[in-house]
Amino acid sequence: MPHPDTLDRLVREIATQVRWRRAEHYGLRGLFWGAVAAVVPLLFRLALGPWALALAIALLTAGVVTGALFGLLKRVSPADAARLADREFGLDERLSTALEWAERDDRTQLVDALVVDAVARVEAVQLRQVVRRILPRETRLLPVPVVLAAILAWAPPLPLPTASLPDFSAGAQKEEARERGDGTMLEDRARPLAKDKQQRPVFEERDWAQKGATGAAATAGDLSAVFKDTSLANQRPDFNSFLKKGDERLKMLEQTDRLPDLQSDFTSSQYKMVFRKSKELKSGLRDTVSPQKLKELLEEMERLGRKSGGGWGQDVSEGMEALEGGSTDRAMEAMQKALDKMRAQDEAQRGGKGLRGGRESDRRSGREGGRGEGSPEDQDFGEGEGMMPGKGKSGAPKGEASQRLRANPYDVGVEGESRRGKKDGFDTNLTGRAGKMSSRLSYMGIIGQYKNAMEDAISREQIPRDFHGQIRDYFQALDER
Amino acid sequence: MTQDPRVEQFISSFQALRREVEKVIVGHRDIIDHVLIGMFAGGHVLLEGVPGLGKTLLIKTLAEGLELSFARVQFTPDLMPADIIGTNIIVEDADGRKHFQFQSGPIFAHILLADEINRATPKTQSALLEGMQEGAVTVGGVSRPLPPPFFVLATQNPIEMEGTYPLPEAQLDRFLFKLRVRYPAIEELNAIIDRTTQVRAVTVDRVMTGPNVLASRELVREVPIATHTRDFASAIVMATHPQWAQAPDVTRRFVRYGASPRGAQALVLGAKVKALAEGRYNVSVDDIRHLAAPALRHRVILNFEGEAEGIDVDTLIEQIVDTAATTTTQGKEQFVR
Repeated sequence: MPHPDTLDRLVREIATQVRWRRAEHYGLRGLFWGAVAAVVPLLFRLALGPWALALAIALLTAGVVTGALFGLLKRVSPADAARLADREFGLDERLSTALEWAERDDRTQLVDALVVDAVARVEAVQLRQVVRRILPRETRLLPVPVVLAAILAWAPPLPLPTASLPDFSAGAQKEEARERGDGTMLEDRARPLAKDKQQRPVFEERDWAQKGATGAAATAGDLSAVFKDTSLANQRPDFNSFLKKGDERLKMLEQTDRLPDLQSDFTSSQYKMVFRKSKELKSGLRDTVSPQKLKELLEEMERLGRKSGGGWGQDVSEGMEALEGGSTDRAMEAMQKALDKMRAQDEAQRGGKGLRGGRESDRRSGREGGRGEGSPEDQDFGEGEGMMPGKGKSGAPKGEASQRLRANPYDVGVEGESRRGKKDGFDTNLTGRAGKMSSRLSYMGIIGQYKNAMEDAISREQIPRDFHGQIRDYFQALDER
Repeated sequence: MTQDPRVEQFISSFQALRREVEKVIVGHRDIIDHVLIGMFAGGHVLLEGVPGLGKTLLIKTLAEGLELSFARVQFTPDLMPADIIGTNIIVEDADGRKHFQFQSGPIFAHILLADEINRATPKTQSALLEGMQEGAVTVGGVSRPLPPPFFVLATQNPIEMEGTYPLPEAQLDRFLFKLRVRYPAIEELNAIIDRTTQVRAVTVDRVMTGPNVLASRELVREVPIATHTRDFASAIVMATHPQWAQAPDVTRRFVRYGASPRGAQALVLGAKVKALAEGRYNVSVDDIRHLAAPALRHRVILNFEGEAEGIDVDTLIEQIVDTAATTTTQGKEQFVR
């Protein structure tokens, strides 16, 4: 049984509807991409001239036409169209089944009845648009290229981008002008030449800015405004001379390594610095000592020896020779000897300006008596090493052990009395056996000595200025107690 | 308006049978229709519901409306396979010679009501397997065909009830449809009370014979189905398989085993009967959609997560059908992409 015309006609109608919907769909897509493409010639309107607009319109039209044609010419399956008609017209698959089974060899009598039934129902169908409009995703973004293209079409042409960064300096413009002047165009030759070849053209704009800065407010390009807060502001802001002469501030910043090291130079002795470096040299996870660092340390010790006239130059020389010979151990021993001598000299120097009755003098007196007693801080710098029984690394014979107080705690005591006056005070003294020892000191006397030493240090500018007030406040607080 | 007289005959028989059943059964129109569809499709139907909803009465009434032999077996835990199929017994003839004679069981009836089938042991339940699939039973090495049309209508209580043995998957698969009998609405309940508590004799007329049923079954198979409609049925069945590449997420998550090819056969055959019963000569997508749950709910086995989550198989199938519709028939109609 051939396809009845009624069924075919409905399928063709649906297929036509599908084609038009496709034309809309793909036409919109073509419009979008055509608009995107149309933006490009409009961007180069300066170069393309009047052709840019024509090209943009052509691209837009081509996109729409191509899309619409693609949609119109795209094949529509009759089975799909029949199925859509079945669903949209409530035919319960009669149309698609009838079209499919009508030409089959194994069709039954029921198929004939089906075709008749389908034709009857299709003839009763009121034709209408059944294909839904599906907008492409590009539709949401369509206004962007269209509006952009319209703006570009109405706006003045954009300048063409250059390959290199723009040089806004007058010198560069003059250079270009000079280059153009080398050409053959007569009108270019008629231009005035540069007035002063000796003048650095790069800063011509700054000259103009400088004039402006003296009177009116600074304008755009006024680079001298950068230097307004400096003494250089009144000078000609010649950057080359600036770099040549140098800004004091920049010089200071560049020479941070030459700023005074307050900690090392003013609060530590040379010995302590060298001792700390020797400690760092021997510390670390590795047992081996870096020969390079050892050499640097020995050189520094040699330099310090020359400077201060210390007697460890010989030891340092031995150490250097041992190091050159590859014997690090011998070099370390020589360095240790030199370090001991350096320490001795340092202690001797400190003895001269030390405080009377202080720990240094006590220790020195104890050391002279064959005894040594160092605080934990002092031990950190190795001052007690080799002198205290049971401690130290030196193999030299130790002095006698310190005389220990007996275990009776009552042998040691503290007595004190309050002192009335302008400022309340409290004088304390050790009692018992400890009272006879040399560590007995008067509190107020010691405080006074330290205050004098403090004032002396401040006057000799050994203390940074910022700390003067803080240190004085500290001693003031001690005095009031 | 139909053109084929066989179709007209079928429709009138279908409607007459429905009418006869509805003389006794109140409500449950969809259950009655599905039972009739199952019968004309040549399949067996399993009805599930709590006791007292009229499952047995429905089947008895249907049997009364057909000029067919009817047998009822009340399944109990001590029921043996021989009680259903039959057995060889020793008989003595007139000459005094003894020989074995086959004593047929209730399965040798056109319509077998297997009442509360899940109260028997799996061994006894399995006695029906061969008869339901092959239309024959083998006893003592002798295969004995069952009288056509052979139609098993089984009822079962929900498996949550005490003293039930869930039917094995192989047994379930042999049922064309599994129908869930729900509680009647209040109007239906009032009608039930009126009908059953008053003196009123209801007689059910026999409206179809065995040959009519067989002829209807042949006619059903002539109903054409469009390719895309068939594909839709296949897609539904395939979408019940978690291993299928295009299976929806619900299937992957909650289903252990999907429907067998018998499920697809049940879908299409049932849809053909439904189409014919509605006076159509072709199967529609809606026919497939309508019968998806009865044809597949007992063939989709939930996994542990599905059981633990209390997933309703009908809802699951509904989602699967929607997914299949999107990916097959309606998906192809998206002309503009």
